[in-house]
Amino acid sequence: MSIKIRFGTFIQEIAGRERPLSYNELVPELQTDAGGEALPYRPDRLQLRPAEVYAVIQPYVGVRLLEQLRAVVPLALYLMLFQLLVLRQNVTDSTVITAGLLSVIVGLVLFMEGLKVGLMPFGQIIGTILPSRSALPTVLTITLLLGIGVTFAEPAIGALKTAGSNVRAEDAPYLYALLNQWADVLVLGVGAGVGLAAVVGTLRFLYGWSLKPLVYLTLIPTIGLSLYISADPQLREILGLAWDCGAVTTGPITVPLMLSLGIGIAAAAGKGDSSLSGFGIVTLASLFPIMTVMLLALYVANISSPAELIATAAASAAVDTGTLAWHARTPWLEVIGGIRAIVPLVIFLLLVLSMVLREKLSKPGEITYGISLALLGMIIFNIGLSYGLAKLGGQSGGLVPAAFTQIEIVANSPLYSFGFGILVALLFAWFLGFGATLAEPALNALGLTVENLTNGAFPKRMLMRAVAFGVGCGIALGILKIIFSIPIIYLLLPGYLLAVIMTALSTEEYVNIAWDSAGVTTGPVTVPLVLSMGIGFGNAVGAVEGFGILSMASIGPILAVLGTGLWIQWKIRRRHEQSEQQVIATPETVT
Amino acid sequence: MSDKEIPVLTDAALITCIVQRGVADDIVRAAQEVGAQGATIHYGKGSGVRERLGVVGLAIEVEKEVITIVVADDQLDRVFERMYHAGKLGTPGMGMMYVTRLEKAATYIPHEIVERLTQRQARNSSGIR
Repeated sequence: MSIKIRFGTFIQEIAGRERPLSYNELVPELQTDAGGEALPYRPDRLQLRPAEVYAVIQPYVGVRLLEQLRAVVPLALYLMLFQLLVLRQNVTDSTVITAGLLSVIVGLVLFMEGLKVGLMPFGQIIGTILPSRSALPTVLTITLLLGIGVTFAEPAIGALKTAGSNVRAEDAPYLYALLNQWADVLVLGVGAGVGLAAVVGTLRFLYGWSLKPLVYLTLIPTIGLSLYISADPQLREILGLAWDCGAVTTGPITVPLMLSLGIGIAAAAGKGDSSLSGFGIVTLASLFPIMTVMLLALYVANISSPAELIATAAASAAVDTGTLAWHARTPWLEVIGGIRAIVPLVIFLLLVLSMVLREKLSKPGEITYGISLALLGMIIFNIGLSYGLAKLGGQSGGLVPAAFTQIEIVANSPLYSFGFGILVALLFAWFLGFGATLAEPALNALGLTVENLTNGAFPKRMLMRAVAFGVGCGIALGILKIIFSIPIIYLLLPGYLLAVIMTALSTEEYVNIAWDSAGVTTGPVTVPLVLSMGIGFGNAVGAVEGFGILSMASIGPILAVLGTGLWIQWKIRRRHEQSEQQVIATPETVT
Repeated sequence: MSDKEIPVLTDAALITCIVQRGVADDIVRAAQEVGAQGATIHYGKGSGVRERLGVVGLAIEVEKEVITIVVADDQLDRVFERMYHAGKLGTPGMGMMYVTRLEKAATYIPHEIVERLTQRQARNSSGIR
């Protein structure tokens, strides 16, 4: 007789290093009061050993740090290597830039975590409770105000102000005025655009409007106004800025907060379950600000003449040459900027919560922790923005033209023949856009949503590639626009006309996806980098303004995704036709 | 009424593992490396150790992923151990897991495997007799 042992018992014997403990011994004995009633049990604080504290905190910090490292490091390396290998120029101020990039990473880690812990709970509470407690007009007013608030808190918006210091007042007085004296009003205008977009987007959820007519209705006046402005030689320079503002707005704080509010409103009306309900707000939030910025520019042009603006600019420049006031010097400038970005938003959210909803926060300690993190993160990010991203972008942007034209700071420029040099610059821009977009975490999330939405017909990978391809082409076009100083309207008009035609041909899903994909691609790392690169590039080739690259990077993915969508539709239709033909040809195989 | 037989699996156990959001995929991969056939993940919220850790507790995610895996009794201990280590469940706040005995389970089983197993069972029972 052989001995029979169950394999499972054997495995347990050789691998089993289990030590059984009875759970009964772990549970506490309840204390009873005099009457014999059990007192509510309150567990003691756990005392952790240092190694355990490390084990808990290490993955928490590690994951978040890695996320931002992935977004920043490849881009920075790409720019630096390109500068070293292709342009054969040393990176100046490399220590300052490295420190700046480090503070961008640390700042983003803190800011994103603070956003999640401190600000998102507000969004969720307001999004779920507000629509059921208040009348629609109140809800929409709060949505509008919130849109303005979140725009001020958006990290990338600071890049616009940084960019403003590089514009010369004599060349483009209105542009200079908008970015300097009027900078806060400009952000307010952009915010109003975002708020309005949120209101219209919410109404769209509620009444189930199609996105197509909304897109047409928004584009017609926007393009009309652009045409009007482009006819005025003084005003023309602000077009690039206006269209870029659309791309800047849709960042890591606007999108989730506005979406949670919009979806909450739709859900309260019993219409939250549409697969498309999340879309549309982002699209409108990247179109409406274009309009508001143009209107603001017209207003500025109305009340002041170019000569006046140049004089004011000269006067303020004269003052600036003296020692700067304490609040305009580096750490304090960013600290004030950070406080101005976060604190009003928090106060507004608190007011809505206490005055309108009469709700209390469930975990005030955690919320305070989150808000302090967000504030600290914003300040550190702002410092990194001016010393890391903007500096690096401006430097590479200023040096790339050395490939095809003569530049003072590069000794043996042009480095290559004119045609080849331009090709080098375009390839540089294309790969920058392609790579930066693929690294954007928001795009990954959109890709997943889209894959589910289309039942796999539009795979995540295909969407990400289409968007990245579109952004790459867009940025290359933007560079071309700066090199040959092509008026931006010549690029925008055909681009958006094509987009409108393709929108009319596409089904609702693809329209939603395509127009939203333009908004998600421009995150807090890409925007400042591309913006400052464009301006540095523009200064180097002697262009009046270096804006417009971001707007090209917005229309690019719209066209690419719409095109891919049409192609998929065509492919599916052809497959259906083919299978029908096969059925007719060989009926016996079916039976 | 269908006269078709349902192939029912016996000797199965259910491993349920609750971890912080975002970690589940790694644990499922580890379990599959030692022979687990499939896994289901759903989302939830949890509390426990986090509230007792004070400031350190902020590092622990409230949102959880709940992994459920059906395994054969014979592979249970090996999968259990692998999942414990992959999820670092020995660290405070990382999560917990437990095993439930299953009476029976049913799913798609490839036709030829059902055939082979029934034949073997028939042979075994006739051999004993």
